Amino acid sequence: MGFCADQLARLDKLWELMLRHPFLLETRDGTISDARFARWMQQDYLFVEAAVPFLTTLLHHAPPEHETPHREAIEALHEELDLFRERARTTGVELDVAEPAFICHAYIQFLLATAHARPYAEAYTVLYVAEKAYHESWRVVQAKIDPGSRWLPFVENWAGEAFASYVAYLEQELDRLASSASAEEQARMADLFELTVRYEIAFWELAMTGMEWPGLGESESVDPVTRGV
Amino acid sequence: MAPPAHGRRLSETLFEAARPIWEAQLEHPFVRGIASGDLDPALFRRWVLQDYLYLKEFARVFAWAAAKTDSLETMSWYAMVLDLTLNTEMELHRQYAARFGFEPDELERETMWPTTRAYTDFLVRTAADGDMAELVAALLPCAWGYAYIGERLARAAPPADQRYADWIIQYASEEFQEASRWLQAEMDRLSMGATSEKRARLEELFVLSSRYEWQFWEMCWHGEEWSV
Repeated sequence: MGFCADQLARLDKLWELMLRHPFLLETRDGTISDARFARWMQQDYLFVEAAVPFLTTLLHHAPPEHETPHREAIEALHEELDLFRERARTTGVELDVAEPAFICHAYIQFLLATAHARPYAEAYTVLYVAEKAYHESWRVVQAKIDPGSRWLPFVENWAGEAFASYVAYLEQELDRLASSASAEEQARMADLFELTVRYEIAFWELAMTGMEWPGLGESESVDPVTRGV
Repeated sequence: MAPPAHGRRLSETLFEAARPIWEAQLEHPFVRGIASGDLDPALFRRWVLQDYLYLKEFARVFAWAAAKTDSLETMSWYAMVLDLTLNTEMELHRQYAARFGFEPDELERETMWPTTRAYTDFLVRTAADGDMAELVAALLPCAWGYAYIGERLARAAPPADQRYADWIIQYASEEFQEASRWLQAEMDRLSMGATSEKRARLEELFVLSSRYEWQFWEMCWHGEEWSV
């Protein structure tokens, strides 16, 4: 098996948790509340905006054969942003008023710090996992969503064939990068693989619950922090 | 475009903006526990382990600063502080491990909790894609904040537990105070002539790092884990 298949097998329980997340199942079944879907739209819009500098930084470090695919992916991100804006106009969701919630902020910092400060193969790992997670998550929704759903364009974007081909390409390239990586490098890539899955789940959780930070309890002290910066 | 605010050093503005958060840090039960000496050692252990991981990344931020700065003098200073972080402060953490009865190997085996991860990624990202003023604004709440807390706690009688007394002595020391003052002056130098928009951006970074500092105490007080 290649690196990606090994990691997906190692993390299969976590991956399944992600695919069975209530946000996906309720969107699939048409029972998701407008408020929850709007929260996802607002936060994911901010995330996609940040994915542009992430990919631009990756492009800066890319081997020549990856330059064109990264450029095309950046163009695709701009099309995704257009899709968000179009759906927002149609459904009355306000995109420009939202501040990143804590998980969204943290995930964005993780993307950008990895792209800037870690070797290319490690940042590429994060890219692959984020895209693979989105493709498979939205395929879960695609399986049963009402064809008349106003959220269908999002589903078609990430569950569709074009995106499937992109994810397959990323998988092939990540396997190739991993095959020439040292054992230590592969271990770091595996850590980032797992962390990215955890962020993906946390992001669905954020959309569903509006949670600010996983595992954070109530303090006895006065909270001076207005989170969500 | 509004004119820049004249006549006030940026470090003063930053301190005023973050003062409620800094005061809340002083009142945080974790910090109060160090001051009184009553802090459960199991909670302090969390701080040692997570702060050790934090310092590894904080050292990288100083390395970015040394690479980006504009003079040999400031480059030397960042290199010196990088060395202090890696070889003095982290060594003190290894000594804490021994004094609190856990193996130094645990420091190497520990993995980042969510707040540590987010805070260090924020710092490294800002160091990498920000300019020098942004980099210093983001790192300052840690360097200045610990010196501030150390100095404030040192005004009272030391705790009976010598391990916590030494923590206070360390961060109240002239070495830490001097580093804090140097960075404040550097912040002021880097922001001279900055537009009001730029000053607002620097304040945003400073306040966000201050929030992370407060949240770090929260993490050590409550414990933290990933949602799955």
